[in-house]
This record gives sequence, structure tokens and C-alpha cells, in this order.
Amino acid sequence: MNGRTIISDFVIEPGTGKAVELKKGQVLRIEQIEGGQCADFNCFNLHDYKEYFHTGRTRHLHGLHPTKGDFLWSAPPRERPMMFILADTVGTNDILYPRCSAFLFEYHYGLGVHTNCHDIQAEAQREYGLTPDDVHDSFNFFMHTGIDGHGRPFIGRQTSKKGDYVELVAMMDVLAVPNVCGADVMATSDFQLKPLRIVVMESTAADLKAIPEWPTFRNQRTPASFRNGKIKADRPLRRDDQYVAEYTNVPLRLESVAVDLDDNEARLLADLTASGQYGATSAEALRYVVFSWWIERFMQGPKHFDDLKA
Amino acid sequence: MATNRVVLQLNQQQTELLDKTVARGEATDRLALIRRALKEYAERHGGAGKGGPRS
Repeated sequence: MNGRTIISDFVIEPGTGKAVELKKGQVLRIEQIEGGQCADFNCFNLHDYKEYFHTGRTRHLHGLHPTKGDFLWSAPPRERPMMFILADTVGTNDILYPRCSAFLFEYHYGLGVHTNCHDIQAEAQREYGLTPDDVHDSFNFFMHTGIDGHGRPFIGRQTSKKGDYVELVAMMDVLAVPNVCGADVMATSDFQLKPLRIVVMESTAADLKAIPEWPTFRNQRTPASFRNGKIKADRPLRRDDQYVAEYTNVPLRLESVAVDLDDNEARLLADLTASGQYGATSAEALRYVVFSWWIERFMQGPKHFDDLKA
Repeated sequence: MATNRVVLQLNQQQTELLDKTVARGEATDRLALIRRALKEYAERHGGAGKGGPRS
């Protein structure tokens, strides 16, 4: 951990997230345990939850795939750097796609109760008194996306491996909320949900030296300059001692499904596996193919592959 | 016939989607659905390096 003092070190399981307090200057690491897992992320000013990470302004300033050296900006009218990306061993992050939601799984797949990033975020931040309306579009770490030739977004296979990580420095006191993306029937995490390691650390002098100067303008406003600065809730975030996490469909249990293939089917699968586009093993490739086929064949609405034009 | 066994790891949400697809008549059972998916996907995308998801 580069000589840093570790404050906390834990794992978030599939279907879950965790709200984590960071003081200004502390470092948050999100690390792949198995590889190939998208981490949805949001953050709030710990002392004023109305200041929160904003995908739009961050996208405007750093493009669709922010990485090492970029900031996570808060929404207008604040527009301040909330966190700084100190390290990124992969570089395939996404701020194009919004968080997945219960509606999407019902609409696309007909699944009425399903893990999804909106509800996971809501449940994690409920520990600090926030509501489902307080979830904002996420920073999707490790999510591999792009835009096809027709201007439509697509999701590619993950490139993250075991041990890959991103590290963020808090530019202010924040409540950071990472979660294991709940999309297991979309391509986001290669059709398997995997745990992620979360580490909170004190920064070193070298860490802080790596942060570039950031702009300060009069229009980076605070409630002090609002015509109406009052809101119908307290600004400080306080932990609810009665909080008990209740995540949808957790625990997620893996079942072994044995599939016997005839020689022709085995040959087809061997060819697909050999292409290297679907996973390292025949089992991974078959799972990828099955759900990719399902998406092509049955998914309602816009699909997230770029080669689906018949 | 059926001499090549592949063992998939699926969670309950993924099996739910497959079973719902079976229930609406797309295959006789979960395994038949998986085999159908493989054949139709391979027919559409071919083998090594042909089509498939962009990465």
C-alpha cells in the first residue's frame, strides 16, 4: 500500500455496497479480488449532502473515461473537485452509462426483483439517513464502454484482472459509497458478480504532491451564496445506530449447472472460447454466450452491444 | 452424444432469467435453452475472431 497507514480494509460482497467516511487527504482503494467486476461509486460532501459527485460535469471536463490524474467533480452550482484519481491500473472507467436500476431489469428482462446499483446505493447510504432520491448517477470503475459508429453506447468485456485497483484521494471530507454493480445479466461484469476489496488509508506526502492545482472560481458556490439556502433536511450526515442493511436478493448463491454437449456443440464452444472474446475457460465462454444470446434475442429496448444490427 | 460436460456457475438471478425463458416455451428445459443459445449464437457470430462483443 505504498507505505500508507491502513485505516480500514474490508470486502463488499455481490449485491452490496458500503458507505465509508473519508477525511480530506485520505485515500480510498477499490481493488479487484477476482477481476472483471464493475464498481459503481458515488460520493457526498460529508458536511453537506447536497454537494455530490456529478457525472455530467466530470464527463465535460475529463471525457467519457476518466482515469489517473482526473478529478471527480461536484454538481453545479458547487463544481468543486471532490476526489482525485491517484492511481488506476486498468484505465477502462465509465461515466457514460447511468446506474442500473430495478426498472431496467423489469423492462429489459422481465425480472421484478433483482440486484441493481440504484437500490444498492440507496441501501448503503441509508446508513447515513439518505433516501433513494439522493442516489445520483455513478462513476463506474472498471466498466469497459465505448460509442459505436452510430453514436450508441456499448459495453465491452472487462479487462480488469485480479489485483487491479483504483485509488482516490478525498479533496474534502466525503461519504464515499462504492458498490458491487448488480448487473449480472448485462455484460458489465462479464456475467458474474464478484466481491471487491475496499481499503481506506492515510495519504503520504508523495500522494498529496501528485495532486495538481485545481481551479477556484467565484462561481463554485456554497449555500452561503444561495438566495434560498434552506433545505428540508439536516446537512450533516449522521450515522443511524439502528441501521441494519437489507440488500435485494442477498446473499447471491452460485449454483453449478452441468451442461452436456454433443460433439458438434462442443466444437462450436471450443471455437468461441479460442477466439478469446468470451472468457478464459469454456464455462466462462458458455455463460457469456448464453446471456449475450439472450440479450440479442429477447432484451427489450436499446441493447448494449455494438454489433447487433441484423 | 453428451460426452462433453461444461459446468456453469450461475447465481439465482441468472437461473431465474433462464427458467422464465423456458417457462414461456423457448425450450423444454434449462439445459436445452443453454444448448440452443450456444448453437444460435455460434451460427450468428461464428468461431474464432468472427463477430462477438467488442472489447
